[in-house]
Amino acid sequence: MERGIGSSGAFAWFFQRISGIFLLLALLAHFWVLHYSNDGEVTFQIVAQRLSHPLWKTIDLAFLFLAIFHGFNGFIMVIHDYVRWKNVRLVLVSLVWVAGILLGLLGMITIITFQVPGGGL
Amino acid sequence: MKKTYRIFRFDSAKPKQKHYDTFKVETAKGETVLDVLIEIKAHHDGSLVFRRSCRHGICGSCAMQINGLNMLACETQVEMLKDNTITVDPLPGFKPIRDLAVDMDPFYEKLHSILPFLINPDSPPTDKERLQSEEDHRKIELATSCILCGGCTSSCPSFWADKDYLGPAALLKAYRYVFDTRDVGLNERLPMLDNKHGLWRCHTIMNCNDACPKHIFPTEDISHLKRKVVEEKY
Ligand code: SF4
Ligand code: FES
Repeated sequence: MERGIGSSGAFAWFFQRISGIFLLLALLAHFWVLHYSNDGEVTFQIVAQRLSHPLWKTIDLAFLFLAIFHGFNGFIMVIHDYVRWKNVRLVLVSLVWVAGILLGLLGMITIITFQVPGGGL
Repeated sequence: MKKTYRIFRFDSAKPKQKHYDTFKVETAKGETVLDVLIEIKAHHDGSLVFRRSCRHGICGSCAMQINGLNMLACETQVEMLKDNTITVDPLPGFKPIRDLAVDMDPFYEKLHSILPFLINPDSPPTDKERLQSEEDHRKIELATSCILCGGCTSSCPSFWADKDYLGPAALLKAYRYVFDTRDVGLNERLPMLDNKHGLWRCHTIMNCNDACPKHIFPTEDISHLKRKVVEEKY
């Protein structure tokens, strides 16, 4: 039994809640912005314009990182809950980390490099 | 009132032969499931094994699963149970030893691990007890009434999944001391509480609240502990 040593889980527990609250608000805002602003008109041009703006890029990056943290931290919690073999746990947790980091990088590159095709800001 | 009782039978020497035995027992108004078990042992099958001591809901030794719910056999009156067939199992999640008796050692080990005593290096006033205001005591009053029956821990899915998880009873005891205004031992208890098999395995499932025969809400106190530990660390 590895009680009393190793990573505690306090931060993961706390930040899971913080990211959860952010995601809840961000999802509501996202829903509103997408479907109710601009009289509910959703065209590629409108969305692309928005995604080209630095402020929106920042918001979307925060959205991206917190969503990835929330989802993948959830996976890790489930692994700690149910996987009792230490080595299997290590492998699974590592896979979750790798997948999380890759997805984070991919999302980051997409958001940062996105520009309106054929036009500036 | 005559009812049928299906009782789980098990012998750790012959683990493959676990089965249920059925008995028909007549009970009078007010008699409990524990009375039925005593009756079975006295008149039907003397080899039936179960734990009991006080018969008044205070020693915590007769906790078992009755019709799928963890309860104290001595506090459960037969007439409260609607069904005509009553199934009695040992507490789930613990290793069965014999019939309704389970191995409670790991339960007590966890309890001891959280240092279940007052930690305060200042010596108490020589001629008095360490007194506490009524208001301060109210915070821990319910938690002090735990009788360590194990019903809560045995009902907890997190404990079923991780046998090293401290479980609600030990965490409740930790709460009882950490939130005692005379205690200063949080930091000493922290390594036990704040780890993979500690506080963070509680996902507020709340089975423990339903199981507790003393109407304690361990989930609520565990949540207070979680917040306290986060405040302490960050
Ligand atoms: S909290 Fe309730 S259910 Fe849990 S051990 Fe104490 S008395 Fe039993
Ligand atoms: S026999 Fe003591 S609590 Fe039931």
